[in-house]
Amino acid sequence: MNQLSLRAIWRGYLRPAALPLGALGIVAVILLPIYFTVVASLEPTSSIQALPLTLVPKHFVFSNYRAAIDAESGSVLTSLIIGAGTVALSLAVALPAAYGLTKLGYLNSRAITSVAIMVLLVTQMVPGISLSLAFYNLFRHIHLLNSIPGLILADSTSGVPFAVLVLRAYMATIPAELSDAAYVDGAGEWRTFRSVIAPLALPAIVSAGLFVFLFAWGDFLYAFTLTAGGSVNPLTTGLYRFFSSNYINWGPVLATVVFAAIPAAMILSFGQRYVLGGLRAGSLKG
Amino acid sequence: MPRQEWSSPVDGRQATELVGAEEGANATPSEALVRLCPESGSHDASASQLRTSRTSPLEHWLRVHRRQLILAAFVVPSITYVIIFFAYPLAYGLMMSLENFGFGALVKGSGPFVGLHNYKVEINDPTTRTALMNTGIFLVASVVCQFGLGLAIAQYFNRRFFLARFLRSLIIVPWLFPPIASGTIFSIMFQSDGGTINSILRDLGVIHAPIFWFDSAFKAMFVIILVNVWIGIPFNMLLLYSGLQDIPKDLQEAAALDGAGPWRRFRFVTMPLLRPVALIVIMLGIMYTVKTFDTVIVLTNGGPDNGSQLMSTWAYTLAFSNFQFGLGAAIGNMLLIFCMIVAFFYIRATRREVLMA
Repeated sequence: MNQLSLRAIWRGYLRPAALPLGALGIVAVILLPIYFTVVASLEPTSSIQALPLTLVPKHFVFSNYRAAIDAESGSVLTSLIIGAGTVALSLAVALPAAYGLTKLGYLNSRAITSVAIMVLLVTQMVPGISLSLAFYNLFRHIHLLNSIPGLILADSTSGVPFAVLVLRAYMATIPAELSDAAYVDGAGEWRTFRSVIAPLALPAIVSAGLFVFLFAWGDFLYAFTLTAGGSVNPLTTGLYRFFSSNYINWGPVLATVVFAAIPAAMILSFGQRYVLGGLRAGSLKG
Repeated sequence: MPRQEWSSPVDGRQATELVGAEEGANATPSEALVRLCPESGSHDASASQLRTSRTSPLEHWLRVHRRQLILAAFVVPSITYVIIFFAYPLAYGLMMSLENFGFGALVKGSGPFVGLHNYKVEINDPTTRTALMNTGIFLVASVVCQFGLGLAIAQYFNRRFFLARFLRSLIIVPWLFPPIASGTIFSIMFQSDGGTINSILRDLGVIHAPIFWFDSAFKAMFVIILVNVWIGIPFNMLLLYSGLQDIPKDLQEAAALDGAGPWRRFRFVTMPLLRPVALIVIMLGIMYTVKTFDTVIVLTNGGPDNGSQLMSTWAYTLAFSNFQFGLGAAIGNMLLIFCMIVAFFYIRATRREVLMA
């Protein structure tokens, strides 16, 4: 009897409370470094180093953010331009490719589509460092080192295969009857692509575009190896160089870290399910 | 059913069944109807008779394959792209690794051919052995930990409770940060003097003197593995969670009714059904981890004394710090070969979905 009521108490009151509390604990441990980043970035510069960093915020000062903006706003602009250029290039190559592969898959050319998908999967697995060694020497001779176009080209190597795979997976779900109808109405392939399939694939285009932007935004390897001179300085290398030269002064560095997270934060908060759906289609469904 | 005959050849899949000829699939509706007639079947003999009477063989081929050729034109830019940005650089990298590609070669663009010399030099280099071993340890420890923790968290959240959705969505917050930013956060947290980790440990009474986290290879490796696991948990958790969600609930309930406890339900219901997703998650984790570069550069830069050098950072150091591009390319190619082996298994595991899609 006693045991039964204890179990009833556990079932009725404790378990509903214990599960969220445990989850809260898990989340707290995982998010501790980010919490620390935000708290420390709001501390006045003098007290970050001097005091052992406690977990309770003591100040709310925006001087670090001002310092970060002064030092890194040029880098933010560079990264935005590189991101936009990478998205444009990747989609320009990937959209027609995805359409062609989808339609070839409907015809008796399924093998071509399968081989193309496998090649794209393989290119996604090529380590960036292997490519960057070659890019460094190739770009050197055509004057693309230390340039924004050079970084757009290099960053697109992760954008193009990903975008083709995501877009093709999505286009394969568009009923073939729709493009058949356009065909019967006399539309050629280009017209069908432009006026029927591309508008219908807009969700996947947006999702792929956002991810490609984030790849380019977060790229450090190519920025680091292909801009040795430092005249072109995206936010990732900007942060690295800022940290290397400000080893003592952490406040502005951590404020820059927060800035680096803003695009992804915006994208995820606006359409989390949408974006994650795109990722799942790209990574799991090939 | 004339409607069926007119619309289906465009679809292709049904056309094949209808016509029973290879070329029927890419024919326009009228051509497909012509092909339905017995005398113009797909056999070369009768087809060539038809051809000679009307058009040249090339013209005929072009007409039959017209749609495929137009669609191929859509794919050509991406093929060109893959050749210029993957095939050519990788071939160039192979060439560099076979040359004495030092500082002088940088200017000229090529150096004297030395065969497999660079590979021999690197295999006998103790730092390469350290980098190989470190990469192995880093790989196994990272993948095991992030998969294990990711699965545990996914299991935890695979239940209904208050705020579950909200708290689960918070776990992907680490994803917002580019790896270099995450590396910077942890680099500051692990500073010996004033770093959060040492402060917390001191306040808890665990340590009395600050720990220097980056002065031994062991501690440096510990830190870069920890950071990589932290970065990898959200990805593992998210994909494994959606894998768990796809397992029908009534299977678990049926097992529970049959008297299976939580462990047996996990072992005999969850694990077999989660296997396909788990395999893919693990292989993607291996791919991602073996390429790790950013976090190691900002946390340890391969140090102390090359003690936390990975293959990726070692290739970087050889090429960009020592200007030995030949040696760097040799290491880069070893890494590439490993990645291609994993890619092979990845594609084999996902082949069915790729071909079906």
